[in-house]
Amino acid sequence: MQQVDNELPDKKPCIQCGTLIALDGNFCNQCGAKQFVEDHISAKKTWNYLTQTGLFYGISITACALAKYASIFETFSWGLFFDLILAINAIGFFAISWKENQKILQWKSFSWSKLAAYSSIAMAASVLVHYSVGWLNLVIYSKDDNYYEQLKGSIAGGLLVVSLTAVMPAIFEELGFRGYLLQTLLKITDKEQAVFISAFLFAILHFSFVSLFWLIPFALFAGFVRIKENTLWYGVFFHFCFNLTACIFELL
Amino acid sequence: MPPAPPPILRCDACFKEIANDDIFCAHCGYPIKGTKVEQSAFITKQNKIDFYKSGINKRTRERINKAGNTLFWLAGLFFLSATISFFVLKDNPEVLAVVIPYLVLGIVFLILGDYSKKKTLACFISGLCLYIIVQAIDLVQNPRLNLYSFLIMAIIITFLILGIKSAVEIEKIKKENNLS
Repeated sequence: MQQVDNELPDKKPCIQCGTLIALDGNFCNQCGAKQFVEDHISAKKTWNYLTQTGLFYGISITACALAKYASIFETFSWGLFFDLILAINAIGFFAISWKENQKILQWKSFSWSKLAAYSSIAMAASVLVHYSVGWLNLVIYSKDDNYYEQLKGSIAGGLLVVSLTAVMPAIFEELGFRGYLLQTLLKITDKEQAVFISAFLFAILHFSFVSLFWLIPFALFAGFVRIKENTLWYGVFFHFCFNLTACIFELL
Repeated sequence: MPPAPPPILRCDACFKEIANDDIFCAHCGYPIKGTKVEQSAFITKQNKIDFYKSGINKRTRERINKAGNTLFWLAGLFFLSATISFFVLKDNPEVLAVVIPYLVLGIVFLILGDYSKKKTLACFISGLCLYIIVQAIDLVQNPRLNLYSFLIMAIIITFLILGIKSAVEIEKIKKENNLS
């Protein structure tokens, strides 16, 4: 039988003996050789990825919990120390698979209009959250929280607050959660579940029941933007604008 | 009148159609023209693989069910805590600050439990992390050493981790077969 050189061949050569066999055949009907290569990413490897993300999350959560709940760490310098640990943690895990992760640091689809759109969504959301959270805190806890009271007034203090609550979290939380965590989860499961897991873990890291209702949608949105645009930077700007707006409310 | 079609030959192992001159089945690799010994060795091996796969399936299903039920049990536990603390602290002005977190936790676990039928892995991981965080905060704020509550914690965490392991196996099969 002669092979006809047309566009859609219905035969393929056996990978072992070269006999032409049916295109959808799993085995060669002449020598019995298997025609497909088995996937070597074992369940064990997937499990290793999962424990690695567990380690990343464990370190993050320990640092956050100590900074928030242990009274000896309540000073400003300890706060800085834990911020530094969180930043190093995010960078370190992101760098583990640098070769695969560096592509999301590129910004090929850069466009001013998209950037402006994401920034304005972030600011509008932040204003909405500010008023609703203020109301909820009054209802549930009968108190009106105001952080960084002692830093108010001076320009240097204001800049410090902006860099600690808007710049640092925007970069390092995005790098850690939408960068490392989401990238690793994508190796294990599908896009939807990976975005959901990273969003939920990000939300509960903030230890606030009242904030869960806006943190989860916030993180889901940032996750889907990260997948859709294939770059981390829109998320970083989104996060920055959101926190900056919240920050301005605190300072005014 | 056209001649009657030749009888369709079928593989003895997988019953898929085969051609007259095939030496091996193109679908399952069964040695059609091999010796009796080769053929029975092939069947034995195939049966072992099938048995192993069905064992994995059964165990996986059981573990996923258990982990899903654990999420519902946790939801019940938090609703119970909300009710109890409401009646205990009824006259305390801070009652909402205690009851609402329990209620939110109950609702979150209920949603996770229900949604775990569709998005198994995501719900199990989320549930496990939330449970561990809640327990850790509770321990930091009210330090205590209660063997009984540690035992319950260990059981819940084990169920959820086994559920995650099984869900990972299923995700792997899905990814390999491009089902997702």
